[in-house]
Parts: sequence; C-alpha cells; structure tokens
Amino acid sequence: MNVQAKHSADASTAEEAIAIQERFDSTAATELAMQNTLLTPRFYTTDFDEMDAIDVTPVRDDWDSLIDRMVSDPNKGHFKKNEDWDHVDWEGMEPELKKEFIDFLVSSCTAEFSGCVLYKEMKRRGSNKDVTQLFQLMARDEARHAGFINDALREAGVAVNLGFLTQKKKYTYFKPKFIYYATYLSEKIGYARYITIFRHLQEHPEHRFHPIFKWFEEWCNDEFAHGEAFALIMKSDPKLTRGRNVLWIKFFLTAVYATMYIRDHQRPRFHAALGVDPDWYAHEVFTKTSTLTRQIFPITLDIENPRWQRGLERLQRANVDMAEGRKQGGIDGRLKSLGAQMRAAACFVDLYTIPAKTHAVPASTRLEPAY
Amino acid sequence: MGLFTKEIERAPCTVEISHKFESLHAHVRFNNGAVIHPGDEVQVHGPEIMAPFGEVVTEDREATIIRASKIEQLWTRMTGDFEFMELCEFSFSEEVTL
Repeated sequence: MNVQAKHSADASTAEEAIAIQERFDSTAATELAMQNTLLTPRFYTTDFDEMDAIDVTPVRDDWDSLIDRMVSDPNKGHFKKNEDWDHVDWEGMEPELKKEFIDFLVSSCTAEFSGCVLYKEMKRRGSNKDVTQLFQLMARDEARHAGFINDALREAGVAVNLGFLTQKKKYTYFKPKFIYYATYLSEKIGYARYITIFRHLQEHPEHRFHPIFKWFEEWCNDEFAHGEAFALIMKSDPKLTRGRNVLWIKFFLTAVYATMYIRDHQRPRFHAALGVDPDWYAHEVFTKTSTLTRQIFPITLDIENPRWQRGLERLQRANVDMAEGRKQGGIDGRLKSLGAQMRAAACFVDLYTIPAKTHAVPASTRLEPAY
Repeated sequence: MGLFTKEIERAPCTVEISHKFESLHAHVRFNNGAVIHPGDEVQVHGPEIMAPFGEVVTEDREATIIRASKIEQLWTRMTGDFEFMELCEFSFSEEVTL
C-alpha cells in the first residue's frame, strides 16, 4: 500500500478498508440505547446457466467503455461525510416527519442491501467473465450506498441488525429476463427519483431538511450506470424486447410506476417537508423515466392520457381501503378488504390497457445522465 | 429429491458480515459446493452474528438446507416471478400508514 487511505470509503480493497477501520478506536462500537431495526432483504435464485450464456459481443464497444468507467470508480471516496454534512436536529424534527424519514432511510438501505445480495449471488454462481465482473462492480456500489445510509441512520439512533442470516430464509425464483426488466427499470426510475429531488432542492435549499440529499447526484449516477449495463444486456439479445416480451415490458412499466405512486402517497409529511407535491413528483419522474427507457424499450406508457392519472388515484384509494379493511378485521373488514382488492385489480387492468406509445429504438443504447 | 418429500442436508458455510461505513453487506458461502435451488430454505445455525459498527466478522458455521420437493420447486419456478416487485424498492416500506 503506497498511498494510505484515511477513510475506509477511500479504500480500494477490502483488506485495506479493514486495516483502516482497525485503527479506529472501537468506541464506535458502543451502541448505547440504539433502536434496533432488523434488515429483511429477500433472497433470489435464477437460471444461472441462462444468465451465463449472455453474449455481449454485439454491444462489445459500449460494454467495455461502461465497464472501464465502473472499474475506474469515479465515485470512490465520495460517500462519506465531509464539511457539507450539516448538523441534523433529530430532536427538533417533527415526530411524524421523523418517522417517515427513518422509514425512507431504512427502506433505502434494505433496497441497496438486497441489490447487493442479489448481484453478489450472480457474481458467485456465474462463470462468464463479462457478467461476473459487472455484478461484482454493482455489488460494490450497492454495499457502499447501504453503508452510507446506515451511517445516517446511526446518527438518528437507529442501528440496523444484520442478524437475519440465522433466521430461516426461503429462496424465490426469477426468470433472468424478469430480473433484467425489473432491475433495469428500478435503476432508471431510481435515478429519475433521486435527480428530481436533488434538482428541486438546489432551487429550494430551504427544504433540504437533511444533508443526505446533497449526495443524491453522485448516488444516482451509480444507479444510472447500472441501468446502462442492463440496457446493454437486453440489447445483446433482441428477442428480449420483441414480440410477446413487449407485453411483459408494458406490464413491468405499469406495475413499477403504479407502485411508486402508491408508496409516495403514503408518506405525505416527507413530501411536504421537501416542498414536493407527490402528484407533480410522480409525473416528473415518469416523464424522465419514459424518456430514458426509449433507449431500449420499444414502447412507453401514455402518461398524458386522462385515464392514467384517474386510474392511479383510484388505485391509491383502493389500496388505502384495503389496508383499512385488514386493520378493522372481522367479517366486515375482510369484505371491505376483498372489495378493495377487486377494485385495485380492475384499476390495474384499466391502466394496463391504455394504448402504449410505440417508437423506433436507437441503434446504440448508450446514454449519459443529463437531468 | 422426492416428488412430495423434502430432504434436509447440513452444509458447512462461511458467513461474512460487514458493518462498515464503506460497505454494509452479509453473505453466506457454502464450503462443500452446495447449490441452492428455487424453493429451498436455508438456516445458518448458532447465535445471531452481530458485527459491531466498523467491523467485518467472518465465521465458519453450519447451515441446514431444507430442499424443496420437486412439486414445490416447480411451483416456486412458476410463481416466483410474481414477487418481482420486491426488486423494485421505492424507498418506502409497504406500510400504508406509519
């Protein structure tokens, strides 16, 4: 080790990072009266042989330049606190906002963590060098993000518990192509979500109630790069974005957009504190995501169609009723919940059947973050 | 593997938990080359493994793998895909109200 990194976020290898951490006094380990939150990531398995058979030859140039950039690790050292990390007044934070914000941090941490587990598993089970290298790099980024959020949580007195490993866990199964559609969309919509908040707070810094939002720009550039890699994988096999698979793509787009809409509407204080109207935010994020996904998907959802917004609002109401029914319990509650469930299903079908917009897909998929 | 019966096997494994600023992760690796299939359940034995903040803990443990029956494996293959929303986290938990 010629140049000694000072912070584990600057370390290039795990061994180096461990050495740095060992130099710290272990007072960091005294976790007094911390609220304990058990992380509950999901465990997946897939058809690893099929995934191993990915051949990126048709997109080799774009692939190599993307991987080279990820290997050069432009965000190394970025995810640590510096002088921009202002003091957070956790005590003074309105309790309801605090609850929603901590939910936001814990869920973000779980999501990054689950991504890390999934990517690491693929790395380990594969033998195709292109694929395993990509998953290794993505696992690195996700673990880094998770560590950063974890640090913010610790400051709030919340300790994440990684003890889930000793609990019994079941492995569920995903077809590789569904992993591509879902993770591609999840990375791209993640980028759109983070950058929209980041740009909004640049214009309205008075709403930035926590410093972590200042890190969203670099953070979402990692998400963007991961999405690019999945776009190239899909590009390498044209069948994935043709024929009946287009119906699957439409299904994933509808489900992902609708889920985001519902979840965001469940956290009103969080959005009020940011000075963001969830309906405006959803529309903004869908517009950006649709523009981005034209790089590989031959369709985009018609989010300007009046049926779209109306359908989302109905779905959201059905979802609230469903939860109320479950909470109420008894026969009445169960009937209420069942009725709401049927309404939700009908809303989803209504959203799904809005005619999509079709367009020609460009020859090269590569995009750069531009928002 | 039976059509309806589950089989149980034990496998030595290495658990690595990193609870560091630089990386928060947890992985289990089976040391006898055991491979997990759809529907299988895995449990690592022994007390909960906790890594204090700033540390990586690596431990050799034993795990039980409860192999899914043929039917269950088939079922998981057919239906697992519908749990895909788990992959698309939206930075909020599923709780409708907190």
